[in-house]
Amino acid sequence: MIHVQDLKVDFGSHSLFGGLSFHVKAGEKVAVKGESGSGKSTLLHTLLGFVPQFEGHIEIDGLALNPSNIHEIRRRTSWVPQDLRFTVFPTVREMFYAPFRFKNNRHLMPRPEEMKRIFHAFEISEDLLDRQIKEISGGQKQRLILAAAVLLRKPVLLLDEPTSALNVEIKNKITDYLLGLEGITLLAATHDEYFISKADRIINL
Amino acid sequence: MHKGVIDIPWGYLFTGYFLMLIPLLIFRYYRTGLERSTLWSLLRMTVQLLLVGLYLEYIFRWDNKWLNLLWVLIMTVVASYTVIKRTGLRLQKFFFTVLAATVLSIVLIDYYFLGFVIGLKNILTARYFIPITGMLLGNSLKNVIIALDAYYKRIDEEEVSYRWQLADGATHSEALLPFMRHALRRAFNPLIATTAVMGLISLPGMMTGQILGGSDPMVAVKYQIMILVVIFASTSLNVWLTIIFSNRIAFDPFLNLRKDIFDPGNSGKKIKRARG
Repeated sequence: MIHVQDLKVDFGSHSLFGGLSFHVKAGEKVAVKGESGSGKSTLLHTLLGFVPQFEGHIEIDGLALNPSNIHEIRRRTSWVPQDLRFTVFPTVREMFYAPFRFKNNRHLMPRPEEMKRIFHAFEISEDLLDRQIKEISGGQKQRLILAAAVLLRKPVLLLDEPTSALNVEIKNKITDYLLGLEGITLLAATHDEYFISKADRIINL
Repeated sequence: MHKGVIDIPWGYLFTGYFLMLIPLLIFRYYRTGLERSTLWSLLRMTVQLLLVGLYLEYIFRWDNKWLNLLWVLIMTVVASYTVIKRTGLRLQKFFFTVLAATVLSIVLIDYYFLGFVIGLKNILTARYFIPITGMLLGNSLKNVIIALDAYYKRIDEEEVSYRWQLADGATHSEALLPFMRHALRRAFNPLIATTAVMGLISLPGMMTGQILGGSDPMVAVKYQIMILVVIFASTSLNVWLTIIFSNRIAFDPFLNLRKDIFDPGNSGKKIKRARG
């Protein structure tokens, strides 16, 4: 599902990955582990076309990463970033529903019972949707973005430190939920030992 | 009612400048560092308007359509240059984009207003074409600067939100929609507020000028109403076209915001850079 061959990213002053190669099978749950600055987030950004100066070959769901395929690739992915400011959306509701309003995703608009189920699993109060973005905490925002990513049911889920803003109890519960998603290929950059220990496989950077 | 305007003798005109001591003393007292730029802008404004006065005397006398077009083109070029310098974007990249958007909005609005609403046989008549276009340009300039600045600054600062939408399947225009909305709100809220109180707390310049020049107040009011409508329309068209056209050059083939659109050496209204 995700195929990376001889990947190298040059930033001028330094380069990352030094010819990294790996393959993630469909449905596999993989943790990307490494020191701070080793390029975990950059790897996810590169897979999504946000680091265009990469060398090597990347394929996602059989599509080579290049400008002509990029939109088709992004139709098949969902990404949970580490930085969750999102202040361009005035309300939580606008942020949460934004991806479901895209032409490509309209058919994925969640039904009320699906919303209830995931909000219950991620311990999200539905009242949060009526708040302003600046009124909610980083942990609440992270759970909402994770919930939206799960509800989108994209074949490839790319998560950047998906549990960094969560407390221990809910963190492990959400980790179990994410790693139990059937038919979804998951690649997560993470420091979290619990996540790493439960993943199918680890990529060390 | 007095017909015809009382001329201001040159000596009295210069005594009017003493009023500028008020802002200069305030700026000096609070050490704003604005004194030099205020004096410079005052000098530029005076010289430019005196030159315009001289030019217009001849342009109105000759009333040649090619000369009128050339004059408006010069005004448009200067306006486009000013927009880019004030937004902190790279002149080389954005100049023709801003110029094209400005020319297109001016042509469409001038054609409709002068040709249809006023009913001029020749819309390039100097007495109408030049001042009306000048007013449209002058008014849309500020809004285009605010909109462009707000748009690219916000995309740069909120790059994660922009990328998050792309990564979740948004088309380019869908991912840019919240930023377009933000830019339009920033640019048009002041204009909406000013339009709403027009006549209550401010008498617009054109109407005042016409009345001072001896026009019937109702004729002046009708012109002013239309001018405000036309300014609103041309400004919104100019802002929208500028952003739409600039989208074609501001993003790479993967739709990432190009970092080289920002001019680090531009001393204008700086766009604060977020992390790369």
